[in-house]
Amino acid sequence: MNPVLVGALLVGLVALATVLGLVWQARQGRIRAGNSRIVAIDDVPLGARATLLQFSTEVCSPCVATARVLGDLAATTDHVAHVDLDVTHRPELAARYRVMQTPTTLILDAKGAIRARIGGAVRRDLVVAELDRILAA
Amino acid sequence: MSATSPQSTRPSSVRRIDVRGPRVTAGVTAVVLLVVVALGLLGLTQAATILLGVQAAVFVIAAIVGAARHPYGFVFKLIRRRLAPASEWEDSAPPTFSQGVGFVVVALGLVLQLIGVPYAVVVAAAAAFIVAFVNSVFGFCVGCQIYLLLARLGLIRRTPETSS
Repeated sequence: MNPVLVGALLVGLVALATVLGLVWQARQGRIRAGNSRIVAIDDVPLGARATLLQFSTEVCSPCVATARVLGDLAATTDHVAHVDLDVTHRPELAARYRVMQTPTTLILDAKGAIRARIGGAVRRDLVVAELDRILAA
Repeated sequence: MSATSPQSTRPSSVRRIDVRGPRVTAGVTAVVLLVVVALGLLGLTQAATILLGVQAAVFVIAAIVGAARHPYGFVFKLIRRRLAPASEWEDSAPPTFSQGVGFVVVALGLVLQLIGVPYAVVVAAAAAFIVAFVNSVFGFCVGCQIYLLLARLGLIRRTPETSS
């Protein structure tokens, strides 16, 4: 193959990877509306006013960072619980709640209904804003 | 209220490492894979296959000894003294897992090439390049998708420990 064409293909490959990276980055931590389904999982106590339900695996660095943010929010907000579930042990939960990546976080209201869904590492400011909205309702 | 941490049985190769290490390593990997793609497209198929074979060996070694002792780790050691001290640490299990994923992808390309599929090495190297590049530049986490997929398919399953 002619070297100029090879160079162009390599530039194209790097450009493709960059676009994919930007798309992935833009989607990380974005808050989407939940489907209001009620969550009930055995042995999982929910918060009285809201629950930050996180799905993780052991092989996931951003899960640790997310657990730190959500754990801190739960500790400093009354009646808000943080639950971190390892779906390696419970793959049926990943299927039931359509978890396609870790971490995935569901924000549940006082009734346990899914009000918001966050894919990827959470952003503290966005979670705080969403939680305020749910707690105010 | 307090958080429930996921329990895990940790293999002995798991260590706490500077998060920047695996990103530098992924950058070196991406450069090697891009060279493989270039060689393959230039028609230097044998050279491309050999270099991808070397990268496959690097992946498998890193997957066995752990990301903390990655063969490309020397690059990060060279530049670390010019960087600020580590501010974030991570478990070495996620980047170690991604090395195994990299091995599977490039090994598949090598096998297909050796049984006569044209451009198998180029395609495998290009796919692995995209993942390594996005990992290095944007912090994409391979295990966050693939490990979960394997767990959902029932290929990874551990019984929960008794304490909760």
